[in-house]
Amino acid sequence: MTIIKLINIALRNLFRNSRRTLITVLVSASGFAALAIIAGYMDFTFFGLREMTICEGFTASGGTGHLQIFKQDALQKEERYPLEYGIEANDKLQSTIESAGNISFTIPRVEFNGLISNGEKSISFLGMGVDPVKESKLIQYWNSLDNMSVKVILSDSSYVQLKKTAPNGVLLGEEMAKALNVKSGSGLMLMSTTVDGAVNVVDVTVAGIVRNTIKSISRYYLLTTIKTAQNLMQTDKVSKIVVVLNKTENTDPVRPLLSKRLNGSSAKPLFSVIPWHDLAEYYNSVMDAYRIIFSFSGIIIVVIVFLSCTNTMLMATMERVKEIGTLKAIGISNIWIILMFLFEGFFIGLISVVVGIALKYIFSWIINNSGFMMPPPPGMSFPYRLNIFSAVEFLPWISLLVIVSTTFSGLLTFVKIRKISIVNSLTHV
Amino acid sequence: MNNTVIARLVDVSKYYGNGAARVKALDRVNLSLCRGDIVVLVGLSGSGKSTLLHLLGCIDKQDEGNIIIDGIDTSSMSLEKLTPLRLHKIGFVFQSFNLIPVLTAYENIELPLLFKGLEKKAISERIDEVLEEVGLQDRKNHYPREMSGGQQQRVAIARALAGKPSIVLADEPTANLDSKTGDGILDILLNLNQQKKSTLVISSHDSVVLDRIKNVVHIHDGKVSVDTEHSPCQTL
Repeated sequence: MTIIKLINIALRNLFRNSRRTLITVLVSASGFAALAIIAGYMDFTFFGLREMTICEGFTASGGTGHLQIFKQDALQKEERYPLEYGIEANDKLQSTIESAGNISFTIPRVEFNGLISNGEKSISFLGMGVDPVKESKLIQYWNSLDNMSVKVILSDSSYVQLKKTAPNGVLLGEEMAKALNVKSGSGLMLMSTTVDGAVNVVDVTVAGIVRNTIKSISRYYLLTTIKTAQNLMQTDKVSKIVVVLNKTENTDPVRPLLSKRLNGSSAKPLFSVIPWHDLAEYYNSVMDAYRIIFSFSGIIIVVIVFLSCTNTMLMATMERVKEIGTLKAIGISNIWIILMFLFEGFFIGLISVVVGIALKYIFSWIINNSGFMMPPPPGMSFPYRLNIFSAVEFLPWISLLVIVSTTFSGLLTFVKIRKISIVNSLTHV
Repeated sequence: MNNTVIARLVDVSKYYGNGAARVKALDRVNLSLCRGDIVVLVGLSGSGKSTLLHLLGCIDKQDEGNIIIDGIDTSSMSLEKLTPLRLHKIGFVFQSFNLIPVLTAYENIELPLLFKGLEKKAISERIDEVLEEVGLQDRKNHYPREMSGGQQQRVAIARALAGKPSIVLADEPTANLDSKTGDGILDILLNLNQQKKSTLVISSHDSVVLDRIKNVVHIHDGKVSVDTEHSPCQTL
């Protein structure tokens, strides 16, 4: 009964000085909307970065896919010769992997390195032998992501070109092509060590020049077909098998299933199944940096909301000195009076959340329809269109943060209320 | 009226300020008030009558001496600790009414009763009873801003009496009202005191009040002198 009455008084007090309450609510609601928009942008950024890591990658090894299968020894031991711990990719292994469920397709890859020469100049490269058709499918996976309604559409034309130039076509990074002074159709030589330790050379034709996601990779980047890579290294093994799932959220559930299918109940497993996030060093470091930036922004906004509400509460206390004194005189304890102010803060928070949700959706709609292009992130080579996700899963937490900060702003009145002298307050004007 | 002592002040002194600016507001006051007593505190402005009323109401602390309210020695208790005593034993009527502006007449009276832990039905019956006694049944859903000064003071009296306190303290209850309304307010206070048998202490300059109340406590420079003809209980 008493609590209900206090809630009732708190609500009525809010509408006593409705203009001031409105301003406080607008500040808190703007804080809520700002936090929610930051969360939406963070969600968009992390989603884009995650899927870009899976499809395109930020290293010379290309997109990570969702899972990668390695020989266990390849991760634990140092190879004495190239592909010592490579995988014999055959149809049986393929069907074993695909029977795990939720798997869209697999991509075998050969990682190798060596020298590339135009006859006059030789430079080192980090190469990858790929299946152009399957790599194209990975690009198609990115293009089919439906929550990226305004994403950058990736082209698989370079893989199409690589397939056309098979068996000995190569795709070069922009910087490498510049260093070797070559263009599409130019002839080059690849030199590398075979699995027997001998040096082998293969003549290749430039199938295309690609612009890498990260500029620094561009000078060492080289792609060719698996066949060319295997010919160069004199082997039929692959370095790893990349597994692409129907959706990224299935990564962690599928991983143990796939590992069990590949290794059975063997005490010494032959294969290791690594999820994309364990391979995405760039993604993880960007996430950490973004989290710090977003947390810092969040703290600043919450502090602004807290201070604004505290100011309102303290002003309300000053204005109601006589009332507070009267309540004390008729036998109502400080705790109940402070509780009344806490309820006022709570209701300011609650109204702010409702108004903030509306503001968030209005501003998100404006931003998402403005076509605003963001400059390329550090180290990357293309701009992207700004998009704010709904970030619904963050909204309860942001609501809680705003309500807690507005409610606890009432706590600062505690000192003031305790100090108010009943005798002096009764004659306060 | 009986001889049960409701409030007793023993050698009570109160000072304001420090050092050279120190002023003695009350000087070794001894006073006893019995159940049902009606007493008016009289004195010039600054004589100490409001201070005496505040000490009796447990909203201020004496510097020396003891104050016993309804058998409870309040001397060693802080103002915060005295909150339940104010809620249960004391009723206040203020000069400027001091009603809570966001609450209706009914709710202003209801507030202390809620904190006393009374049942909703008992509260409702009690409020209806006191509103009838002060003649404001038809105004119970009005906010203070919708009532005249006299009506607001009647609500304040109802609020003070609804909790059936042992002692009701009225600080210049008629000072902000015209003489006719003030007279009406005094009628209500005196009638209710007769019915409820609570002790009533009024501080006043108003000659109408002095004409109608025989027990007078004079305060001059912090010292108290009492006309004792009507109550043997007023002095130690």
